[in-house]
Amino acid sequence: MATRISAIAVALVAAVAAVAFGVPTARLRIVLALIAALGVVAVALLTSARVRAEHPVVTRTLVTVIVVAVALIGTARFSTNVDTDLSLGAAMTIVLLGLSFLTGSSGQISLGNGAFMGVGAFTVAIWANHHHASPLILVLVLAVVAGAAVGFLFGLPATRLRGPYLAGMTLAFAVAFGAILNVFGSWTGGDSGLQLPSAENAPHWLVHLYPASTASLSVNSVWLAGLTVVAAGIALFFMSNLFASRFGRSMRLVRDNDVAAELVGISLPRARVAAFVISAAYAALGGGLWTIVNNAVTPSTYGFALSITILSLVVIGGIGTIPGAIIGGLIYAYSNSAIGWITAHTGLSPQGNVASQLNGIIFGTLLVLTIVFAPLGISGALRRLWSRRTW
Amino acid sequence: MDAFLTSRIVSDILGGLTNGVIYALVALSLVLIWRSTRILNFAQGAMAMLAAYVGFAVLAPSTNYWVSMAVAIVAGVALGALTERTVVRLLYGKPEINPVVAMVGFLLVLESVAAAIWSTTSRSLPTPFSIIDWQLAGRPVAMSPFALYEVVTAVVVMVVVALVFQYTSVGLQLRAAALNPEVSRLLGVRVTRMLTLGWMLASGVGAVTAVLVASNYFTGLTPTTMDGVFAFGFIAAAVGGLDSPVGALVAGVLLGVVFQFVGDFINSNAIILVALGLLIVSLMVRPSGLFTRRTERRV
Repeated sequence: MATRISAIAVALVAAVAAVAFGVPTARLRIVLALIAALGVVAVALLTSARVRAEHPVVTRTLVTVIVVAVALIGTARFSTNVDTDLSLGAAMTIVLLGLSFLTGSSGQISLGNGAFMGVGAFTVAIWANHHHASPLILVLVLAVVAGAAVGFLFGLPATRLRGPYLAGMTLAFAVAFGAILNVFGSWTGGDSGLQLPSAENAPHWLVHLYPASTASLSVNSVWLAGLTVVAAGIALFFMSNLFASRFGRSMRLVRDNDVAAELVGISLPRARVAAFVISAAYAALGGGLWTIVNNAVTPSTYGFALSITILSLVVIGGIGTIPGAIIGGLIYAYSNSAIGWITAHTGLSPQGNVASQLNGIIFGTLLVLTIVFAPLGISGALRRLWSRRTW
Repeated sequence: MDAFLTSRIVSDILGGLTNGVIYALVALSLVLIWRSTRILNFAQGAMAMLAAYVGFAVLAPSTNYWVSMAVAIVAGVALGALTERTVVRLLYGKPEINPVVAMVGFLLVLESVAAAIWSTTSRSLPTPFSIIDWQLAGRPVAMSPFALYEVVTAVVVMVVVALVFQYTSVGLQLRAAALNPEVSRLLGVRVTRMLTLGWMLASGVGAVTAVLVASNYFTGLTPTTMDGVFAFGFIAAAVGGLDSPVGALVAGVLLGVVFQFVGDFINSNAIILVALGLLIVSLMVRPSGLFTRRTERRV
């Protein structure tokens, strides 16, 4: 214990010194030194097995803060394109967390989470068009509430249904979503969708902090990326606690043996509907953030294809796990760049049929291979490697 | 009598019947696979779509309609066998969401591959009969020679499937393998072969369905032609009960007629809302479908 504490102290001083002397302005130097010191403390706490075992909430808080901090520092260094991709991916991570919870804890599956995203996305756009200059947080809460309400409606049959029926029902919702938007065309703008009345701009303090908005990196993209990363962090923290809570554990019993769960006094209908509502609310939050990042919403974005993409990402990342959702979000963020790279290096015509379908072919094949040969996805494979380590 | 046959009500019933038999066929293929392998085949529509492409896009456009149809059916049957032997076989005995995920992945692969080969542009299929409605006393009846051909074809397919299951030795073995694989195997039924056969039969039915759907002038054949039809077919199968072929057929036809009335008297966008509403209500009232008996589950 003593060696650990002294090691931590040395590392802390070294980190503070290293950061403080490398930065020009005095105020930034102090801020960075503080961040570095906190980071060192956090890592030190996390390396202690006792802390991990006895203070799970502290552990989860620290992990979330570290992940968010690393991403935030990154957003200030990347380019506008990378930041925009990151914000779309961070919002997608929220959606994946929701679906992961639904499947990982209650054993249900939804093929309609793209449509639930659409509910959130259109809620934000419709509200912003009718109430100018609403606070961002209010708009996002509304999106979550709308998603939860629709999720509740579709969750109701879940009280009496199992597996494939639910999947089929949510599939029908996903396929029908475009037509449903058309029914309310005067609100949703029909096929062309909606534009936000004003773009979400970076607040003054951030503009002051990054006055040098360069050609390759605009302050607004830093702000939007930061916003979605923080939102994803909050969603992540809440979800990791939920997984470990009494509710989360009773859900896993529902998944593994629903009859036994009922016998020990868990209300099956309530547990199933709750899982569905949470999953839909998460999806709606992600969709709402997409509208803010894109500054517009189109119905074609939220078609059946998006729901399949969401399912692919969650399965490839690792279904039912939190790291899996983060991996899936990152894959989503940068898959287009990766596929663009493949197209460029294989000499395919970028406008050709094959290039435009490469995404679907790769994701579809990976989805089938993953579920057949490695049902726990990338995070499951990594976890197995970690547990086999010899050191 | 003429006025009655061309009235709005009769027109809706006839139009609904034409759509309904299509939903019934999709539902029937789903039920066939569900009964034998307990897998809800989400790639059903995509497999059928690919079979239709093989029949009508690989062969020269001038090929005789019936030759193309036959090729499509053969392609569908072959694709069914291939799918069962390569993908589905690895999924037996796994948690029930694994096959769902795998079949959705397969759906994505098939639709993307079809779009990569034949592009997403719609292509119109030849029709063997006129699509212009018959006239009675100067007013159209909601039935054309082609629509009648659709209904007759669907009924023929249904009757053939029913006869196979009810009166042939293979049909008996198929039913036995679905009902109790263990005992059937002991009695000499080659269960794995029966499972493959079930998939072949279902995708053959699917191929016919896709050709009929794609012959529709308004939709034509695209890689996603079957998505919407599949959703309605699933709703029919779920309402009727995934275990009941009769339920699937009755529910398919009834839903077709109901949707036609909704589209005519309210508006066509409302159809999907009504369909989802019907699905939710029917699943809540009778989760196992209107035409199946209750089953108890144990720990």
